[in-house]
Amino acid sequence: MDNALYVGLSRQMTLRRELDVIANNVANVDTVGFKVESLMVGTDTETLPAAGPAPDKVHFALDGGVARDFGQGGLKQTGATFDVALEGRGFFSVSTANGTRYTRDGRFSLDGQGRLVTSSGDPVLDSSGGEITLDPSKGAPKISEDGTISQGTLTAGKIGVADFASLSALSKDGDGLYSNVSNLQPTPAPDTRIRQGMIEGSNVDPISQITKLVEVSRAYENISKMMDQTASLSSQTIDRLGRLN
Amino acid sequence: MRALSTAATGMAAQQLNVEVISNNIANMNTVGFKRQRAEFEDLLYQDMERAGSQTSGSGTVAPTGIQIGAGVKAGSVYRITEQGSLTQTGNKLDLAINGRGFFQVLTPTGETAYTRAGNLSVNQDGQLVTADGFQIQPQISIPQDATDVTISPTGQVQVSQTGSTTPTVVGQIQLATFTNEAGLEAQGNNLFMESAASGAAVVGDPASTGFGSLMQGYTEASNVDPVTEITALITAQRAYEMNSKVVTAADQMLAATSQLKG
Repeated sequence: MDNALYVGLSRQMTLRRELDVIANNVANVDTVGFKVESLMVGTDTETLPAAGPAPDKVHFALDGGVARDFGQGGLKQTGATFDVALEGRGFFSVSTANGTRYTRDGRFSLDGQGRLVTSSGDPVLDSSGGEITLDPSKGAPKISEDGTISQGTLTAGKIGVADFASLSALSKDGDGLYSNVSNLQPTPAPDTRIRQGMIEGSNVDPISQITKLVEVSRAYENISKMMDQTASLSSQTIDRLGRLN
Repeated sequence: MRALSTAATGMAAQQLNVEVISNNIANMNTVGFKRQRAEFEDLLYQDMERAGSQTSGSGTVAPTGIQIGAGVKAGSVYRITEQGSLTQTGNKLDLAINGRGFFQVLTPTGETAYTRAGNLSVNQDGQLVTADGFQIQPQISIPQDATDVTISPTGQVQVSQTGSTTPTVVGQIQLATFTNEAGLEAQGNNLFMESAASGAAVVGDPASTGFGSLMQGYTEASNVDPVTEITALITAQRAYEMNSKVVTAADQMLAATSQLKG
């Protein structure tokens, strides 16, 4: 009898979590290099002890995981020398206090020592895993499509691009950074082009997020109604069966 | 409900974005102004279910976990130091820097500040000063009987005086460059101060290696592009609205819960 309430509750819990995921997508609609996420909801089937002739099956709603869409975000021109965007697969490698991290956010700049750093000040790594240092007085830096930074005839370094065979190897750390939580080793991504003076916008599609938002809040209300009706059904049952005549 | 606070971080971020954009638009005609950009980063993620956690006794693992993000934050407000366009003014003491470098200015507190605004003038003692009356370093004095002032691209200041056919050199303007110009600390009044992020100032003559050259009779306009700013403003406003929609949806869901008869 109470199963209807529990099934409703299981769906409401996943809907709340879905709203949290949508809220995070919408909050990051303007975050450079952000990748949209969605909650994967499936059914969790329980077989109940047989009360009638055949065993009853109850399907609860259960969230199985968060799917991340690594599709390309739109490229926006900024004109800043050290803004770079990745076109294609792969990530920039960044050396942080917690180890190597990966990011699609290419808003780089030079720090006081002339190292190429992210907006949080962590050094960007080159294709062999070393830091990139350049002296801006030696000429305007030009970053080519393969990541080579040149100043006139001088080559200052090459920005590395790391790719993973399976992107589910990556876990989000916040600050636009991903960490590798698997045994997979990063591989170079020779087909990926680096665009200077551009940044990759968030790939959140506002229309689909707002549509999902409406769906989630309506579904939640419907289930609340269903739970109300179930509750009134049981109170009516008690009321009627309790009458003596 | 987490969605409420997540949407609130989104609204706060867009509010900051609008503040930065409005400052850019307000300074569209400020000499030597460099536009700024609010940079956002996603906040930390909470692991509800870790990717790679075991899903059965026979060693199967979850291919994806459940990570719920907590919203967005402002990482930094970055200054884009690209060259502004050069505007001809005809004023002898207007100087524009074409390329890298800053004029050095002595502030009333005795510190050295840096500026790209080269709309200079002469004070009552004949010294070359900024629009606020702060002296240019190294100090240059224009004699009272000077009839004409010529400033070369390399920064040499020459004056013609009555009774003399050859111009006299009265000083040399020097520029300062920084490894990370975006790391300078803005002081207002078009002035910047050296900071730990900018690196130490490197002083040299204009038009030498790594330094821009001077152009007399020009000023450097701000590098704000009105079209870019207005489109950014529209994006920011719409993003703000969408975040407020999430707040409404979360509120409706909470209302549905609290109205359950039970």
